Amino acid sequence: MSVSSVSSESNESSEPSAETKAKADPDGAYRPIPDADRVPPRALGGGIVKLTSIAKTFYRGKEPIHVLERLDLDVPEGSFEALMGPSGSGKSTLLNIIAGLDRPTSGTVHVAGADLTRMSDGELAKWRSQTIGFVFQSFNLIPVLTAAQNVELPLLLTPLSGADRKKRVATALRVVGLEDRMEHYPRQLSGGQEQRVAIARAIVNDPKIIVADEPTGDLDRKSADDVLTLMEKLNKELGKTIFMVTHDPAAAERAGVRRKLDKGALL
Amino acid sequence: MNVATYPTRNLFRRRGRTILTLIAIALTVLIFNVLRTCDHGWQVGAEEAAKDRLATRHKVSITMQLPKRYIDDLRDPAKLPGIKAATWANWFGGKDPRERVPFFAAFAADHLSWFEVMDEMKVEPAALDAWKQTNNGAILGDVLAKTLGVKVGDDLTITSDIYPGDWKFKVVGIYMPLRKTADRNSMVFRWDYLNNKLHENPQSATPKDQIGWVMSRIDDPSKSAEISRSIDKMFDERDDQTVTMSERAFQLSFLGGASAIINAFKWVSLGILLIMLLILANTVAMSVRERTHEYGVLRAIGFSPRYVFNFIMGEAVLVALLGGLAGVLLTMVLINGVVGPFIEENMGAFFPYFRTPMHVFGLALIGAVVVGVISGVVPAIGASRRKVTDALRRVD
Repeated sequence: MSVSSVSSESNESSEPSAETKAKADPDGAYRPIPDADRVPPRALGGGIVKLTSIAKTFYRGKEPIHVLERLDLDVPEGSFEALMGPSGSGKSTLLNIIAGLDRPTSGTVHVAGADLTRMSDGELAKWRSQTIGFVFQSFNLIPVLTAAQNVELPLLLTPLSGADRKKRVATALRVVGLEDRMEHYPRQLSGGQEQRVAIARAIVNDPKIIVADEPTGDLDRKSADDVLTLMEKLNKELGKTIFMVTHDPAAAERAGVRRKLDKGALL
Repeated sequence: MNVATYPTRNLFRRRGRTILTLIAIALTVLIFNVLRTCDHGWQVGAEEAAKDRLATRHKVSITMQLPKRYIDDLRDPAKLPGIKAATWANWFGGKDPRERVPFFAAFAADHLSWFEVMDEMKVEPAALDAWKQTNNGAILGDVLAKTLGVKVGDDLTITSDIYPGDWKFKVVGIYMPLRKTADRNSMVFRWDYLNNKLHENPQSATPKDQIGWVMSRIDDPSKSAEISRSIDKMFDERDDQTVTMSERAFQLSFLGGASAIINAFKWVSLGILLIMLLILANTVAMSVRERTHEYGVLRAIGFSPRYVFNFIMGEAVLVALLGGLAGVLLTMVLINGVVGPFIEENMGAFFPYFRTPMHVFGLALIGAVVVGVISGVVPAIGASRRKVTDALRRVD
C-alpha cells in the first residue's frame, strides 16, 4: 500500500527572504554557478521531488525482494523532511532514488525539474553534481585531503576559476563555522567537525536539495544537535530543501515534515 | 588543488606499501637494464664496426690459418681493385704468469700496417717507430697496461695456451681508443717475432709464414659485398679457400656460441617486466579494493565513471613511472658509474664497452609505463563500472 505526502505532518518552510539569505551568505558566494551546461529544469508543477508509483525490487538469487512498492512522494521546495522507519524498510533505497544514485524498477522520478528515469549514468552524475548535496552517516571525507580540499572537490567539476573556488570554499566553511579549520585533515577533526565539513562540501555547489543519510548516526548528542541546527539554518536561511533519513526521533523532531516508511510504503 | 591532487596524494597514502612497491619496481628495472646492457655489451663491437673494413679468414674455420702470401694478392690493385690497405694478424691469446689478469686478447700483427688499417686505436708516432725497430716490441691498451702495471720501456713476460713457453716482450707503446667500443685490454706485438720464434727450432712442426686473418680497408663501403665475393673467388682454386665478410659479420661470428645466452637474456628481461606487472597489479588491486567506498562517494557527489577510471590509471602509471625512474637512476649510478668501468677494465675482451645506453633507459621507462597501464586497467574498469550504491555499501 502506498500513501503520498497526505500522511505527513506539515510544518512547511517558506522561501527565505533576500535579507535572510544575505545574512547567511555575506559574500554572495552562493550565486548560481555560471555553468551554461547545467541540466535544464523542466516545468512539471508540484514539488521539487515528485515520485510517482515507484517500485524497487532486488533479487537474491532468483528470489525477488520488493523493497518499495507503488510509492508516491511529493516534497515541496524549501521543506525539511525527515524519513523514519525500521531497518530494511527501504529508507536508504528511497533516498538513493531521489538522489539519482539508484533507479526504480518502475515508476517515474522527477527531481528539481529533471526526469531521472530518462537520464544516462553520465547525465545523472553531472546532474547530481549540480543539484544534490550529500551528507552521509560516516562523513565520508577523503582522508588525504584537507577540509578545504574536501569541500572544493565538487567544484572541480565546474568551470569556476581557482580563485572563485577558494572564495566559495571559504564561505561554505564559514557557514558551518569551520573557517579556522581549513587546512586541517579529517583525522585532526572531531566527529562533529567532520560532519560539518561534509555539510560544507554538500552546499558548496549551491545545490537545490540536500539529502542526508543518518547524518547524526555517528555523533554524540551535542555534536548531533549542532549538525541539526546547522541543517535548520541551511533550510531556513538559504532555502535548501533537505530530505533526511534518520533513526533518531530527536533528529526527526527538528524537521518540518516527518514521514514514516515501513515495508516499502509510506505510512 | 586540481583533479590530479587526489591521485597524487593517494600515492603515499600507504607509505610503506608504496615505498616497497617502488623499490620492487626499481630493482626489476635495474635487472632489466643489466640484462639489456649485457646484450648490448656483447654486440656493441659488431654494431659499431667500421663499415669500410672487410675480414678474410679460412673458409673452414677461424682456427685454421692462411698462407701469408695471400696478403700480396689482396694488396695488388690489378687483381683486386677497391682495396686501400690490408693487414693481418694471428690470435695468440694472452695469459699473465703472475695472474694479475686471468686472460686478455693478444695478437701477432704486421707492425707496418696494423695501425694503419685498425685506426680506432691511437698510437704515438714515436711508439710506432720504436715498434718497427724492436723485434719483440709490444703495444698495449691503456687499461691492460695499468692492470699489468707496465709502462713504456718495461719488459713483459706472458704465456699462451696456443704457443707454449714464456714469451718475453718489451713494451714500446700504449694505444688509446678513439672509439668507445675499442678494446683497451688488448696487446699487439710483431707477427714476424712470433713467426721467427716458432721456427727457431728446425724440428718445429708448425708451418712457416701462416696468418690468422686479413683485415682490408676498402674505398667504397657500398661495394663491400662485391669486393668480398671477388676476394673469395680469387682464392677459390687455391688449397686454402677463404671466406670474406664485413667486420660486423666477422665480430658477430665470434658471438655465435653466445647467441643462445644473448637470446636468453632478452627473454629473461621480458620475464622481469612480467614480474614488475604482477607486483604493481597487486598493489593497485589492493588500493582500489580499499578505496571502493571512497570512489562511491566521489561518484555520488558527481564525479563520472571516467574520472574514477582516470584516478586509478593515473595513480598506477605514476607509481610505475616513479619506480622506473628510480630504477634508471640506480642503473646510472651502479652500472654506468661503478660496475661498467670495472667490467671494461677487467673483462674488456668480452665487454669492451659496458654501459647502459640511452635506448635501454628509454625502453625500461616505456616498459614501466606500459606495465602501469596494464596493471591499472582492470581494477580501474571494475571500480568505474561499479554501481554507486554498491560502492557506498562496501566498507573494508
